[in-house]
This record gives sequence, structure tokens and C-alpha cells, in this order.
Amino acid sequence: MNTTPYLWWMLTSLAVLFLLVRCEKSPESPAAEPYPETSLDANGGTWKTCVLTSGSEISVPAPAAPTSSAYSLELNNLKQYMATATPEQKRLARFWGGNAVLRWHEIARELAARYNVPPNYNPDGKTYPNPDPNNPAAYPRFPFANPPYTARALALLAVAQYDGLVAAWHAKFQHNRLAPYKYDSSIEPLIPTNDLPAYPSEDAVIAVASCELLKMLFPAEKGYLDRLAEEHIQSRLWAGANVESDLHAGRVLGQAVAERVLAYARNDGMARAGDQSKMDSIRADAANRGIREQWHSLDIPERPAMLPLFGYVKTWNFDEATKIALRPPMPPMPGSPEFEADMEELRRITKNRTREQFRIAAYWADGPGSYTPPGHWNRRAAELIQEKQFNEIRSARAMALVNTALHDAGVTCWDVKYHYMIMRPTEADRGIKTSTGIPNFPAYTSGHSTFSGAGAEVLSYLFPDHASNLQAMAKEASESRVYGCIHYRFDCEVGLQAGRKVGQYAVQRGRTDGSQ
Amino acid sequence: MPNDALMMAKGQGCVLTQYTHARWENYWEGPTKRSNLNLGVVTTQSAMLGFGYGLLRRLNVLAALPYVWTNSSASYLQGQRGLQDLSLWLKYQIFEANAAGGEVRLQATGGLSTPVSNYVADYMPLNIGMQSRTASLRGIANYTHGQGWYLTLQAGHTWRSDITTDRDAFLFHDQLYYTNRMPVPNLLDATGRLGFINNRFQAEIQLDYFTGTSGDNIRYNEMPQPTNCMRATTAGIYAKYFLWQGLAVQAAYGQVLGGRNVGQGVIFSSGFSYLFYTNR
Repeated sequence: MNTTPYLWWMLTSLAVLFLLVRCEKSPESPAAEPYPETSLDANGGTWKTCVLTSGSEISVPAPAAPTSSAYSLELNNLKQYMATATPEQKRLARFWGGNAVLRWHEIARELAARYNVPPNYNPDGKTYPNPDPNNPAAYPRFPFANPPYTARALALLAVAQYDGLVAAWHAKFQHNRLAPYKYDSSIEPLIPTNDLPAYPSEDAVIAVASCELLKMLFPAEKGYLDRLAEEHIQSRLWAGANVESDLHAGRVLGQAVAERVLAYARNDGMARAGDQSKMDSIRADAANRGIREQWHSLDIPERPAMLPLFGYVKTWNFDEATKIALRPPMPPMPGSPEFEADMEELRRITKNRTREQFRIAAYWADGPGSYTPPGHWNRRAAELIQEKQFNEIRSARAMALVNTALHDAGVTCWDVKYHYMIMRPTEADRGIKTSTGIPNFPAYTSGHSTFSGAGAEVLSYLFPDHASNLQAMAKEASESRVYGCIHYRFDCEVGLQAGRKVGQYAVQRGRTDGSQ
Repeated sequence: MPNDALMMAKGQGCVLTQYTHARWENYWEGPTKRSNLNLGVVTTQSAMLGFGYGLLRRLNVLAALPYVWTNSSASYLQGQRGLQDLSLWLKYQIFEANAAGGEVRLQATGGLSTPVSNYVADYMPLNIGMQSRTASLRGIANYTHGQGWYLTLQAGHTWRSDITTDRDAFLFHDQLYYTNRMPVPNLLDATGRLGFINNRFQAEIQLDYFTGTSGDNIRYNEMPQPTNCMRATTAGIYAKYFLWQGLAVQAAYGQVLGGRNVGQGVIFSSGFSYLFYTNR
């Protein structure tokens, strides 16, 4: 027999396979390119702020005139920066030259995903260590960026950016000093030009305000965040978009705004949200309301409840009385036909979960190692803003409305969870098998549903042409928890409704913030 | 099988059924060994149907299709079950020569596999497979002494395609990627087998090693995912006994000695094979 053909077959396939090999296996992620900002929103400095009393609260000193020798020296320096920029610096100019508001949210989502890991139990197999904000890098790292933590973090970031930009816009149109390329035509910026006054630099405001907030929220990342902020600010010189005094004024303003938002954050009630000492009274109160079979942690060993006092954290778009008024009525109790019908649905799904139900449960799970459900809606908001090419201040406004609504959704939902202390379906019937992890807090109402209802409601207001799609997404996100068998349908339906109501308060803020 | 040195004669066929039971309680999270009270013992079982045929004296074709089911003793996560991947190999004997009172043979196999059902891959450790399409190449060297003692060394490389997951964002090497396409590391593997074979009986001891050629570690106290770089060294024994004509019973036992991002499995398998001749 002649073996040559087979040998050739082997060698040829070997060659083909080697050609198919990629040396480094790495996933591809879409890149956000800079786009021209067509709308100036010249009245942005008058929009209603969240923490600042107004955009004029922090005054920005007048800059050197464009005709001054100081400014022409700055122009010359700028040309030097541009001429000596390395290819990497030019790449960074475009990286940060896109929507910088969204860039910092992207950084925040990544940090949330990295820090979204529940601590492992101690070697005794009985207790858990607590993340320590004063020693954030030691295991278990601080924070555990669970959904409420992340919702609050993204809201604080968005508010600092928004208030910072309202203040920046106020100063910009007060001083009216344009971008360097408007005064020197030999400056050819690496990113799209616009007619927006460049002093103070909105990018420096965003960089410093975002960085300061994220350092408080993710203290072990101080070095990383400082480096990013510095890179962001310097990138404006490499891009030819700002002179140094634009950036300096932006830094000072960003810092001042950040300090005010940080002061708010230090007193919003988050510091005691994880306090477990109230659990006995929480259980007693729920028992007095008639809830006999209460939620207990299903983790082994039993894990302290996730943020039992998060329901007391300050809300952004309504007050304490409204929060209590938003509380839904008691859910159906075990033994009632309504409860048994929802249990029966979960038993059916356990027996025969379809691939599509599995997919939906997994797509919306946003569990450990992810940016959580608030991060999911934050990302959706960012994608829509990018698609509609909002300018920076309008982006910041949209992110503030969406993310404060998500925060408020988290607070109201957590308030309900520890008000009623409803057990998970698997506690009612150990035969219920899930396709995703069972979260470590009571079932009623569903957090995913509340977050999604609120997120979709605000985004539908901001992007009406996407409204039906957004509402469908929220419904799917809500039902995903039924398909995963970690929630009764009533948890999800009531949560989704409550979330929509929460979202309406943010919509109301948006309608009256002066941006129309 | 594609990684042993057995060849079927031209026109000879073989059908194989095999049950495999693998279980682990400890696993490696990156390089660190641990257990997890919330998983308990993870069990993966499979029933496999295999087929081999001698196209030519030097060229065999092999195929296999397993049905796999999984379970965890402590978690409330639902175990998975389903048909996994269909694999097809060609095995070619490149070289044979008499030497040192026995025979030396060199072989190569090339294989392809594809998932045959839409099972969930991104559900480790209770997934039943990776959903990757794969292509593999391996070389096999065997020396069999005239009295039946043999030594087989093999090494192979498996290319694995990216997979589409149900999520559209995931951490990889601690970076967040916004895509549902997840890279699955390629694999390198090598095996040494020392054994005895005659017309009635075969027995061997094995040492097997495989490693991902890229990929990340399981993050601390998190679930594994298909991007993880898995690695394991497994020691095992294997025996086969011909009951009647071409019908043989076989069994294997293996124990994972060390690894990364894998369970410290104890693997038992057993099955029947039937050799037959077709008239050609």
C-alpha cells in the first residue's frame, strides 16, 4: 500500500490547523469612538443640580483673555505637547476624547464586577469575615460590590459628574473662552471640534469628580484611579482640545464638587446598612405582621443577611414618607391559592426548564463577578447615550436620572425585603432547583424586577423611540428570576410595578430640571 | 481510542459502550486547593457509545458520542443532562519496525468534534461540556515486546473554538469584556502508559497530563467559567478482559494528583467492547 497520500493528508491538516491558531485568545469588546457634539446646551449652567444648591454655587475665577500673552504662551505649550505626543498618547487622546462621562461609568462597572464577590467563610466553617473599609486591600477586600452597593455607587458617580458639569457649564458660559483651536488655526485637534467654551475643561471636572468618588467607593483602587484621572486630563493636551489653564480650573472645580458629594455620601446612611444587630427586631416586626415562615440564609454556613438596613439609606428623588407609601401590601401567604399557584409554576420549571428559560435566567442573572443589575441598566443607558450622541452634560443628566432611580429602586426594594422577610421558594420546597445562585436576602420583592422597572421607566422617558423595547427588556429581566426559580412570580410582578413608580419620580425630576 | 496505540485491521470493527463516574469535593481555584460547602461533592457521569473501524491496515476511523449528566450534593443549582459532543478521528500508522525483540510503531491521529445539543456551557462546574468545536492532532509512539509488555507515549494538541454564552459581559483576566463570545483555551496533553497485552487480557498503568495553553484562573470564591486555564495530572490503571470471541469487558480507575482550576477528581469507568470482522 502506498502511504504517501495519507501522510500528505496529515501534513496538510497540520499546516491548516496551525494557520487557524491564534496565539493569544482574547475576547473582543466594542470600542466607543469620539463623536462631534452638535448641541451646546448653553443654558446647562442653570439646570437643577442634585447636591449643589445650584450651578453657580462654586465660583470659577476669570481666565486670562485669549488675546493675553499668558494665553499665547499656553497655546505654544499646547503645540509642544501635541508635537511630542507618542503614538500611545495619541491613542489615549482618542480613548478619552469620546464620551468621558460614559468612560468613567465603564470604569465603575468594571470595578463593580471585580469587587462583586461574596467573602468566603472563615476556616472555622461557621462564620464570615467582614470587608473593612479602613483596610480595603486585605481579604475580604472592601467593598463587596453587591447590587445595592453598586446602585448607590453608580448614582453617586453620576450625581458628581452631573453637578460638576452643571457648575462647569455655568462657568463656561460666564467666561466664554473657547477651545484653543478656535484662536490658533494651526492647532489641529485629534478629536472632533465643537463651539463649547473650553474654560473650565469639562473633562478635567469629570476626571477629578469621578476619580474622587470612585476612590471613596473603591478605596483600594486609589493608585489606579489617580493614574486614570491624570491620563484623562493630560490626554486633552495631546488631543489639542484644552490649554493647561482650562484643565487647572476644571480640576479645582471637580474637586470642590466631589467634596460636596462625598459629604452627602458620608451621611446617606450607608455606613450602617450592613449592621446585623437589628436582625432580631426585624424578624420580630415581620412576625407581628403575620409572617411566620421567614427567610433564612441558604448559604452554608448561614451568611449574615445582605445589607439589612439598606432600606434606610437616603433616596434621591423622593422622601422617606414616599418610600413608605410605595411599600406594596403583604404578599400571598403559604397555603393560599395564589401562593400555591406560583409555587406550582416553579415546580413545573424545575422539572422541565427550557433552554430559552435557561438563557433568559443567565442573561439577566448579573450575579457575582458581574456589574450587577444596576450595572446592566447603567450599561444600557450608556449604549443609548452613545447611539444618540449626547453631549457631555446631557449624558451626565441622563446618567444621573437613570442611576439615582436605580439607587432609589434598591432602597425601596430593600425596605420591602426586610419589612416582610419572605422566604425563598427553595425554603418553601427544597425540591425547587435553581439555574442561578440564590441571593442572600429575602425574596419579596424581586430586586432585579424593581431595578429593571425603574431603569426602563427612566430610559423610556429619555429615549422614547426605544420605550417598547426597554419595557420588554424589563419584563424579561423580571421574569428571568422566575425562570431561575429563585423568586415567586408575585415577587417579580409587584417588584416591576414598584420599580416603575420609583422611576417616575426620576422622570419627574427630569421634566422639571430646566433642560427642556 | 485516539490516544492509545491500538490499531484495527482492515475491515475490523469495534463498538464500545462505557459508563464513567467522576466525582470531586476538593478543587483548585487557580493554584490553591480548597473545598466549598455550598457545592459539596460534584458528580459528573456519562454513558458513551464509541465506534471504530479499520478502513485500511494503516488507517482507522473512530467516533464517540457521550450522554452526560451532572449533580452537586449541596447546592440548589439544578444538575444538567444531555448529549454532549460528537467526535470523529482518523488514526494513521506512519511507521512500524521490529526492534529489540518487539515492535515499534508510530501513529498520528487527527480529530474533529462538535456539540450535538444546545447544552449550557457557561454553567461550570455543572455544565456537561464546553460547546466548543474542536480539532486535535496527536502523535503516538508505542513499543510492544514480543511477550506482551508495552510502553506507549502520546502527546496532542486540541484547538477549541470560542463559544457564545448566554451572558453578554464577563470578566477575563480581571478585565470586563462586553461580548457574549468567550474564548476557550486550547489544550496540550500527554500520556504515558505501561502495560501488558495478549489475546485475552490487557492491563496498564497510566499517567496523564493536560493543560490549557491560555486562559485565566477561577477568581477567589467564585464559580469557574469556560475561559479558565484548566490543568490536571492524573494517575490511573486500566484493564481489559476478553470474555468471548470479540466481546471484552474493561474498567479504568483514575485519581487526579494535582492541577489548576479543576476538581480533584476520582474517576471510574467501565464498559464493554465488541470486536467484529466485516467481509470485504
